[in-house]
Amino acid sequence: MRSALQITVKDFKLRIRDRSAIVLGVIAPVALAFILNMVFGSAFDTSGGLDLGYGLVDEDGSEVSQAFAETLEQLEDEGLLTVTVFENREAAERETDDGDLDSYFVLEQGLGQAVLSGSAATIRVIGDVDAPTSTQIAASIAERFVSGVEATRLAILTTLEVGGATPTDEMIAALQQEARSAAIAYRVAETAASTRQLDPTTYFSAGMGVFFLFFTVQFGVSGLLEEERDGTLARLLAAPIRGESVIAGKAILSFLLGVLSMAILAGATTLLIGAEWGNPLGVAVLIAAGVLSGVGIMALVAAVAKTPEGAGNLGSVIAVILGMLGGTFFQIGQGGDLLSQLSLITPHAWFLRGLGDLAGGASWTAVLPAAGAMMLFAVVTGVIGWFMLRRRLAR
Amino acid sequence: MGNILEASGLTRTFDQLIAVDDVSFEIAEGETFGLLGPNGAGKTTSISMIAGLLEPDSGRVTVEGVEISTGSTKGKASIGLVPQELAIYPDLTAVENLVFFGRLYGMNREELARRVDEVLDVIGLTDRRDDLTKEFSGGMKRRLNIGIGLLHRPRMLILDEPTVGVDPQSRNAILESVEQLSSEGMAVLYTTHYMEEAERLCDRVAIIDEGAIQAEGTRRELVALVGETDRISIAAEGDLDAASSAAGSMSGVREAVTGDHTIEVLAADASSILPELLGRVSGAGVNIHGVEVIEPNLEAVFLHLTGKALRD
Ligand SMILES: Nc1ncnc2c1ncn2[C@@H]1O[C@H](COP(=O)(O)OP(=O)(O)O)[C@@H](O)[C@H]1O
Ligand SMILES: [Mg+2]
Repeated sequence: MRSALQITVKDFKLRIRDRSAIVLGVIAPVALAFILNMVFGSAFDTSGGLDLGYGLVDEDGSEVSQAFAETLEQLEDEGLLTVTVFENREAAERETDDGDLDSYFVLEQGLGQAVLSGSAATIRVIGDVDAPTSTQIAASIAERFVSGVEATRLAILTTLEVGGATPTDEMIAALQQEARSAAIAYRVAETAASTRQLDPTTYFSAGMGVFFLFFTVQFGVSGLLEEERDGTLARLLAAPIRGESVIAGKAILSFLLGVLSMAILAGATTLLIGAEWGNPLGVAVLIAAGVLSGVGIMALVAAVAKTPEGAGNLGSVIAVILGMLGGTFFQIGQGGDLLSQLSLITPHAWFLRGLGDLAGGASWTAVLPAAGAMMLFAVVTGVIGWFMLRRRLAR
Repeated sequence: MGNILEASGLTRTFDQLIAVDDVSFEIAEGETFGLLGPNGAGKTTSISMIAGLLEPDSGRVTVEGVEISTGSTKGKASIGLVPQELAIYPDLTAVENLVFFGRLYGMNREELARRVDEVLDVIGLTDRRDDLTKEFSGGMKRRLNIGIGLLHRPRMLILDEPTVGVDPQSRNAILESVEQLSSEGMAVLYTTHYMEEAERLCDRVAIIDEGAIQAEGTRRELVALVGETDRISIAAEGDLDAASSAAGSMSGVREAVTGDHTIEVLAADASSILPELLGRVSGAGVNIHGVEVIEPNLEAVFLHLTGKALRD
């Protein structure tokens, strides 16, 4: 054990000196979390961090278009967005071009007619290219409204056919009401869903952290292959120390680098971009388990690779695949769909899920299932990797 | 003097290739033993088994009576290994390299500090002690590579081609320090494909080729083994024929012939007969201008044994 630690200390010194570990372990994840947070994060932010600014041009002037305007106003009252009404498209377009608006809705003439007659109804959404996400949201609001209207219209038409009557004012009023509440219900559902999950800042910080973690821990275990290539391994093995100490020294270094980079990342993103990681003990447990799973997987990679370059390539491929699958770049739901099922074969997804379980002030024990899942990865890959590496050293 | 190292029947194959085939030898205290052979002869493979880095298929190694194996740390502290490949960390300083390996050998702080200074002095790197070794010249790196092997005062030092790619000055410094260590009682196992180094340093030499030891002994024994003789070339003036027949009748002289202003004498051991030979030649009435003794070298022995040159 003493010689293992001596090797760890020596390697730590080397890794600090060649700076690569610092770049990959600390600078890259913080920088990327920062960037991702700027690009996507604010769009999902329901805490009022961003103003979604929309314009509305009502060329139709029907009850249906009025209903849509009211829907937007209601969302504005909730503080979710701001709406400016324009007389014509040109005025709205000018403001959008100037960047004062993210996008604007055009309710073309004949919209109300189309809805009532059952032909295709369109609400045009014209967006600023620099604000693709808010335009996306605008489009989804419009879509929701239209499909809500469609559903209600179908219901009314069915009633009409059965009853054989003409549409009354009450029926039209009901139609409008339905449409409004559909859009709002959608919005409300979105908000509720996101409070059960991580806020985007934390999500991207943690996602980038765990993504780069797998590159960082590689510096430890693949160091064994570098020593093999550079001839220093012969000297280590000629010394009166056990071969296992060399492997252990590298694994401890991996663990140390991983924990250090995650701790710095958590601290930095909390201070710099306001990430909220949650209960410190819970976070510590998650980080420890996540890092161990990384060490185990990368030990296995080192064991099957022939050269350090080979280990680097294989390790990167695995880190990227697991990272993508595990949802470190984009949020994957926790439903029963294939992608979210598939994500559970990655420690990354469990790490993020564990943090999600911790969100909203849960106690540290909330992370135990996720931590347990990661430990399973760690133990299975780590044990196989350990024995393979041991055999490799005692040629 | 007891044997420090005993290696017997070492054999190792890689797939189909028999890299080392039944290699046995002993090295006594204070003795320098050379393993001379071309690239690919099996020198490094033999050494790896002796140092406990590689498990032999069969055979056995003991150092100071302790059996060496890859699975055990026993006996390894008695061995100092200087690998053929430079085994130093470029991003550590000379001192940091020495201290790291010294600790692995369980040296305590004071002992280590003292030995680091001593070794830096021996390898001539005292003034570069705190420089990163990546800034070192090839020769300096080689010297540090050796220094690390010496640090813990091993009973046996193994050097695997320590002068490959080294400038002549560093090379000479390396050979001198090996001579010094041997005179202090260290057993030395020295592999090389340079015939001159084996001749200069080694008390005994094993000639290895294609994994097997072809012959083993002192230089003189090896030379005698293949029937090579010393040649003495005497530059002289006068009755050269009379002088050469006088020399030819001497015991210990195999043959003496007259050349172009020279007398050429073949003998098993030139140094032991030289004084008497010169007496007889000048007694036969010739003036001697110069004497040259040409001893057959290990290159010739190797050629004789294997039918090929040491270096291509
Ligand atoms: N790890 C290995 N795997 C396969 N072949 C090897 C290995 N190590 C050495 N060899 C082969 O064994 C033979 C002896 O090699 P080596 O002991 O390095 O020779 P030397 O040190 O005398 O140059 C060579 O043919 C070499 O290619
Ligand atoms: Mg070799």
